[in-house]
Amino acid sequence: PGPLTTVFPNPGSVSPRESSRHPPCRGRKTVRTLTLARSTGVPVLLRPSSMDAKDILGLQKTSFPSAQEKKPRAPKEPQRKPDGVSREVYALTGGVGMAPLMPTIEASHLKRRPAVEKEKVAWQWLPFTSSARTDNLQLYHWVRVVNNVPPTGDYDFAKYNTKVDVLKYTDEEYEKYLTEPTWSREETDQLFELCQRFDLRFIVIADRFPTARSVEDLKSRYYSVTRALLIARARSFDEVAGNPLVKETFNAAHETERKRALSALFSQTKQQERKDAEVLAEAKRIMESRAANKNVEEAGAPTSLPNAAVPADGVSPLSNNLPSSAATHPAAAANTSIPDTLRMLKVYLRTHALDQMVQAVTASAGIRMIKRVDQTLQDLGVNLKPKVPTKAVCAEHLELRNEILTLLNIQKQLQNKEAEVLANRESSFTEAPTTPKRSNRDIDRPFVPDMAGFGEVREQSNGITRGRPLGDLMHPPRQPRARGLGR
Amino acid sequence: APIILSDSPPAAAAGAEPALTAAQKALRSKPARAPEDPDKKNKKLKDVEISFPIVYGTISFWLGKKASEYNSHKWTVYIRSATNEDLSVIVKRVVFQLHPSFTNPTRVVEQPPFELSESGWGEFEIAITLYFHSDVCEKRLDLFHQLKLYPEEDAGPQSTKKPVVVETYDEVVFPEPTEAFFLRVQNHPAATVPRLPPGPMELMSHDKKRFDTKDHSLSQWFSNFSEADELLKLAAARQQVQAHIAKLRRQLSMIEGMPQQSRVISGPGQQFGHG
Repeated sequence: PGPLTTVFPNPGSVSPRESSRHPPCRGRKTVRTLTLARSTGVPVLLRPSSMDAKDILGLQKTSFPSAQEKKPRAPKEPQRKPDGVSREVYALTGGVGMAPLMPTIEASHLKRRPAVEKEKVAWQWLPFTSSARTDNLQLYHWVRVVNNVPPTGDYDFAKYNTKVDVLKYTDEEYEKYLTEPTWSREETDQLFELCQRFDLRFIVIADRFPTARSVEDLKSRYYSVTRALLIARARSFDEVAGNPLVKETFNAAHETERKRALSALFSQTKQQERKDAEVLAEAKRIMESRAANKNVEEAGAPTSLPNAAVPADGVSPLSNNLPSSAATHPAAAANTSIPDTLRMLKVYLRTHALDQMVQAVTASAGIRMIKRVDQTLQDLGVNLKPKVPTKAVCAEHLELRNEILTLLNIQKQLQNKEAEVLANRESSFTEAPTTPKRSNRDIDRPFVPDMAGFGEVREQSNGITRGRPLGDLMHPPRQPRARGLGR
Repeated sequence: APIILSDSPPAAAAGAEPALTAAQKALRSKPARAPEDPDKKNKKLKDVEISFPIVYGTISFWLGKKASEYNSHKWTVYIRSATNEDLSVIVKRVVFQLHPSFTNPTRVVEQPPFELSESGWGEFEIAITLYFHSDVCEKRLDLFHQLKLYPEEDAGPQSTKKPVVVETYDEVVFPEPTEAFFLRVQNHPAATVPRLPPGPMELMSHDKKRFDTKDHSLSQWFSNFSEADELLKLAAARQQVQAHIAKLRRQLSMIEGMPQQSRVISGPGQQFGHG
């Protein structure tokens, strides 16, 4: 046999010399051991090289084995750096090219550079003054001094020392403008002094106020006095008209009510919270369906949702009524309302008008419902868009759509009711009946044009009734046409 | 004059018979006025809707032997009254916007017949814009039509004699016409104006083919759009649906009335195909 013939050696009898003539039927390892055997015994993990190819082919080496081992070893040594990586992977991922091409950190940078600075910077412990302080306390702090020149200017943080301008009135002014039956001069003075002291923090002021007065009361007195003062002192009303104190008056009643409502909301029980959420959700739903019918064109004032303070009692009757009204709601709404986009148009195409009306219904009924309506229309053999859209045809088309919607809603109601009934009965029978599924299949397509499906249904029901005592349910003799089974 | 029966409240289907419409009442009770009265021109008649049934589309002929790669069909795009009456009663001009590869793709037609003929090789969407007379409407109306040159796949080889015709029926509706406009067009055959309910012959007359001899030969290809078919189908469908609803309602009330009895679970699987 020549060097290239494939003669598979007997297992266990492979001698290195012989097997070198055969193509390795195992992996690379075989080849590696060959070179190992051939060499002087020094283990060399080599990258794929021409030596391997020659081994495979069984060709003669052209140079002395020992010399060859030593030479490639040296240059190849630096390349076998990654010990943790297997040789093949290292080769796959680029091998030598893994070393970063750009220097990342220059070691020279790590040495502290003598900073060639133009300025001389020093830090000194110096005294300072702050305009925010009214006493003469002398304080010190570290200051960055540049070129022996200490910084000038006010203390940096003094600007944050904001103050409120609480007006001071003279006796004359008080007599002329600021008297008030429920407030004595003394009290007013005390109030103003506290306001000055506590920067208009009325909660604190109310707490410190000698006589018991509510926060709203104090606020109201303060604001009205200040407002009157401002107006009195100004040469003309216009001068101060821009001042927010003048523009807005403090509404004590509103504030009291607001706080009361807030505390009521905060102290709601869980049940009340739930009820409120329900009412809001329902109101939102109604608003949305109304808005959908009116179309966005109306825009303008968004209708506000009912106040949270509305008593939560009337919720349950509302939620009960909704399912039954939902059936009639889309039908009624779509019939009578003309979308506002149409109202605005001076001229339009009849098909466009029809589209808008259908879209209005879609918005309120939902895309799934509309798909079912479309399917039903197709089953009935009616064009989804009329070919001759005259006024009468369009009106009929819309009416038909609405009626189909009603039909689908009633079907759903019926489905639910039946499921309910079955669920009730399930407690008495242990077997799980599959009839609900069967009723569902036909409900979605009431006008199925082909008859094929019904035979199939019948067979399946026969399978179910076998051996079950519910025969009276499955094949009612007195209703031969129900579900297509009794024929 | 073939005029479709229509009444302003949209809920009224064919066959409703109200008394005089608001417009007619208004007109009859009004004292006689000079026609140049400015009020009259601007006064809008609410609840009166004037509509004009139109048909727009394309007719395309294969050029046969004379067809080249870039000129395989000659076609005409047009807009006409559904009954082939004169649309210039309301239309001042029509602008056809063609594919930009045509020279001067914006073609204006100021007189009836409102049509445009061209030749080419490609199918594209044509924009048809109607501009109305100033007393009719200030706004323009846009329509779109896809030019079709090649017949359906199973129609066989093209012939130079039989064109590919695609027409769409629609109606141009003016919901609040001015009185002047109303008076001008109320008796025009192209218009549909609410009037006293006519006799039963009215519906059928819509089927009659109107052939205006002053038109050119293209009119032989015009389709007839009859609302009668569609109305019948819709009415039949409505009946089916209503019957079904009644049946379901009965079932629903039955179930609601008898909560615990073992009763038949019936679904709406009734066959209507042969019903």
